[in-house]
Amino acid sequence: MNDPGKEISRLAFDERGADYLLAVREEYGNAGPAFVAKGEDVGDIRTDIPYQLVTILRKIYPYMEDGKIAVVIRRCEEKALNELIKRGIIDGDRIIRIGLACSEGQIEACRCTDPVPSCVDIGSPGKGWNEDQLSKELSAMSSEERLDFWVAQFRKCNKCYACSTNCPVCVCDHCVLEECTFVAEKGIPPGMAFHLIRAYHLSDKCTECGECERSCPAHIPLLTFRKMTNRDMKDLYGYESGDTETVSPLLTTLEGDLLEEEED
Amino acid sequence: MTDFKPSILAFCCNWCSYAGADLAGVSRLQMPPNVHVIRVMCSASVKPEYVIKAVTQGIDGVLVLGCHIGDCHYLTGNHRTAKRIPLLQKILDEAGIDSRRIKLDWVSAAEGEKYQKVVTEFVEEIRRLGPNPLREVRF
Amino acid sequence: MQRVGVFVCHCGHNIGSVVDVEKVVEYAKQLENVAVADHNLYSCSEEGLGSIKKSIRENKLDVVVVAACTPRTHEPLFRRACEQAGVNKYLFEFVNIREHCSWIHAKEKEAATEKAKRLIAMGVAKASLLTPQKEGEASVIPVAAVIGGGIAGLTAAASLVSQGIETHVIEKEARLGGLLNNISVIGPEFVETEPLIRRLKEDLERSPQAHIHLESRIVELGGFIGNFDIKIAEGAKTTDFKVGAIIVATGGRELEPTNVYGFGKIPTVITQMELEKRLAGGAAPSSAIFIQCVECRQPGREYCSRICCNVTLKNALRIIRSNPNARVTVLHRDIMSYGTTAERLYREASESGVSFMRYGLESPPKISEKEDGASVEVFDETLNENIGISGEIVVLATPIISQEGTAETAKLLKVPADKNGFFLEAHVKLRPVEFATDGVFICGSARWPSHVTECIAQGLAAAAKAAIPIRGGKVVIEAITAEVDVERCAACGNCVLACPYEAIEMTVIDGKRCAKVNEAQCKGCGTCVAACPNDAMQQKGFTTRQLGAMIDALIKNCKEEAVE
Repeated sequence: MNDPGKEISRLAFDERGADYLLAVREEYGNAGPAFVAKGEDVGDIRTDIPYQLVTILRKIYPYMEDGKIAVVIRRCEEKALNELIKRGIIDGDRIIRIGLACSEGQIEACRCTDPVPSCVDIGSPGKGWNEDQLSKELSAMSSEERLDFWVAQFRKCNKCYACSTNCPVCVCDHCVLEECTFVAEKGIPPGMAFHLIRAYHLSDKCTECGECERSCPAHIPLLTFRKMTNRDMKDLYGYESGDTETVSPLLTTLEGDLLEEEED
Repeated sequence: MTDFKPSILAFCCNWCSYAGADLAGVSRLQMPPNVHVIRVMCSASVKPEYVIKAVTQGIDGVLVLGCHIGDCHYLTGNHRTAKRIPLLQKILDEAGIDSRRIKLDWVSAAEGEKYQKVVTEFVEEIRRLGPNPLREVRF
Repeated sequence: MQRVGVFVCHCGHNIGSVVDVEKVVEYAKQLENVAVADHNLYSCSEEGLGSIKKSIRENKLDVVVVAACTPRTHEPLFRRACEQAGVNKYLFEFVNIREHCSWIHAKEKEAATEKAKRLIAMGVAKASLLTPQKEGEASVIPVAAVIGGGIAGLTAAASLVSQGIETHVIEKEARLGGLLNNISVIGPEFVETEPLIRRLKEDLERSPQAHIHLESRIVELGGFIGNFDIKIAEGAKTTDFKVGAIIVATGGRELEPTNVYGFGKIPTVITQMELEKRLAGGAAPSSAIFIQCVECRQPGREYCSRICCNVTLKNALRIIRSNPNARVTVLHRDIMSYGTTAERLYREASESGVSFMRYGLESPPKISEKEDGASVEVFDETLNENIGISGEIVVLATPIISQEGTAETAKLLKVPADKNGFFLEAHVKLRPVEFATDGVFICGSARWPSHVTECIAQGLAAAAKAAIPIRGGKVVIEAITAEVDVERCAACGNCVLACPYEAIEMTVIDGKRCAKVNEAQCKGCGTCVAACPNDAMQQKGFTTRQLGAMIDALIKNCKEEAVE
């Protein structure tokens, strides 16, 4: 494999006019996000490590007063970026996208249905999965069985907040899950409310990047839960997170058929 | 099981459903004593988080009542409610919490009888479903 | 820690005969933060309010909880009492144990008592977290609008104008007068209507303060008390103006019978309105049969239209007076001749030979056409047999039904209508000419079928009420608006999109992007609060912590019960 760093550097700085580049880089045997200014050595860029660079971008963006930032993004990150742009958190004009197609292995890990970015610069487009096996099994269960399953899963939660810390679309600095207004006071595990409120909050912005599931030290199948609620959102309102135009249906008024139904 | 006394929470908007509940009272319409009303200004101010909080800690059922679509005191407040609650119900279903424990309905200020009907039927439904299983679950 | 005082009301027997008030008071005493709990026979009485105020001072209470009836009627009263005793009026929480408890669980005393305890526990939980609020003030545009130029609307408008208040009258027809244009004489004193309307019209036409818009209807309406924006379509052109208060006097209309009693087929079967026209023309029939309660007080239209009986009495007497030999029969289900004057009419009619016959809903009169009129067969409930009568005319007394377009008007004004399509006042006894929406008032048959005397009284009352904010020049704006915790706000923009009033915008405060609420535009619905993921948006008086505490109180209670 030829060095992707060179190609990314060329695309970002020479071809697309970026001032900065955000990418994953390996240093001293560790890989992590790196922020490189134009002219600096980009170093050993890695494209085989799934990392939500958009999460990093969102966190540093308020401190970046000017300049164009190039980001290496996969499809899920692209969708997360769109969500942030739509909400006015990031100015889309300042972001240069370098599309990265996920490998078969990465697609499999996320049971990803939509793995190809709108513009593929690096890697070759893979084929998306049709369904998540666990979601299918859970949907076939009775309500009681499903509750038992999730109670057992959520009991493993040790409230480390890795899921929300690493989530690209969790935008709040102060999280209600860290307080006891809605989540039962004290205690680990935090109970069902913690996960249900997260599910509701993410229902109109989750891009199924799988970062919550990957970062969960208790191995709770959080991505499956996300996929299930995303499917519900699509079934109910035909909405899928990730484009720059469509406003979340939870914020808009009823129209068309929905309005008719309610009037009956 | 025979002495199951459901604990039910109801959010009523100040302008329609709370007034409808008042009318039911003024009309002396009898109904089961399991429903506890929290007055809110609009059904759209009912955070789904409240409902999640209640059902995950053992409340047997939650009613969210607002003005009829088109009659909202705040123009289109209840349109948002009409979209949030069905999604919330689906999310609860995915987690194995029976979404019939949550009910969204519209009661106008003139519908004392409808309020009585909604409350009575909901209490019956909750009786059929039995106690909230999460009441016994210890995390 | 807040010192909370709980006052439980017996409301005479209304609460006291179902809920064990003493027990509830004992329960309230041991609730967290409760410094004192007491009960009153009638908390809203002068004595009850006095004892609450005394207790606030003596016990140095921070917050007051009253467990009684509904905040929708009595909250202002108790808030005022709090204020008088030196407690901010928003440090008051109302618990409804009458409409929502004793009245609806009358036969389950024990369960009702338990429920009252839980409701009070929830109320105290919220009250402990209440914070004082300050109300804003807004100036009032010293102009009024009256929708409808019938007797009620004209009376209201003339009254406003006579007080020196600029008033717009919006009438959909080409001339003022409404239903009275077709009625020449009104009961019970047989007063002529023409001078009545003429005088009001002249008063208005003479005054530079009055603006009369004929063939007009409201197309757009926005704003709030003190500052409404109205756009009307007046003929082909549109006009905009601003007003401080609005009086709804859109009236009602006579129901056109639908294919009953041969109406439309037999030409001598007519409505009350047609009879009015004939009588005004001086043509009294030699015999007449009135049928009351046509298409009302029956499934589908259950209400009593109240005024039709008196109209029939009036017209029966007019026939008799102009032709003492006329045979007049009234077929009724009950005669509603309420009040002393109407009762006198009924007596006079009986004594002058009008015969009254009672029929049942199950056996309505049968009409058939005759050469010189119509014949009616009716089962007389008093004689218990079928009787045949004939008359030159048969008059169908149909009810007043709600005005066309009431639903649209209600929507524009954001006010409620009942299931019969009549507008619903804020409270039938306490606020009879007001809507729950501030600055909008109601009078006449738009509210309920009303006699002319009642329309006049209500028109004057509505005008008096509407004059209060206009004369005062200022109104107090509710303090219950949304507010942003700038620290917490993540600027996700949910609230901006969710707000039905476009009262929220994104701004930058101290270099931080965050939401900002325009309090003058905010109506306090809380839609944004529910849209906010991290609790940065709060509704004053309904914060998430306050409502969360109420839910916690119920959860605690239901867990305790489960243990029992």
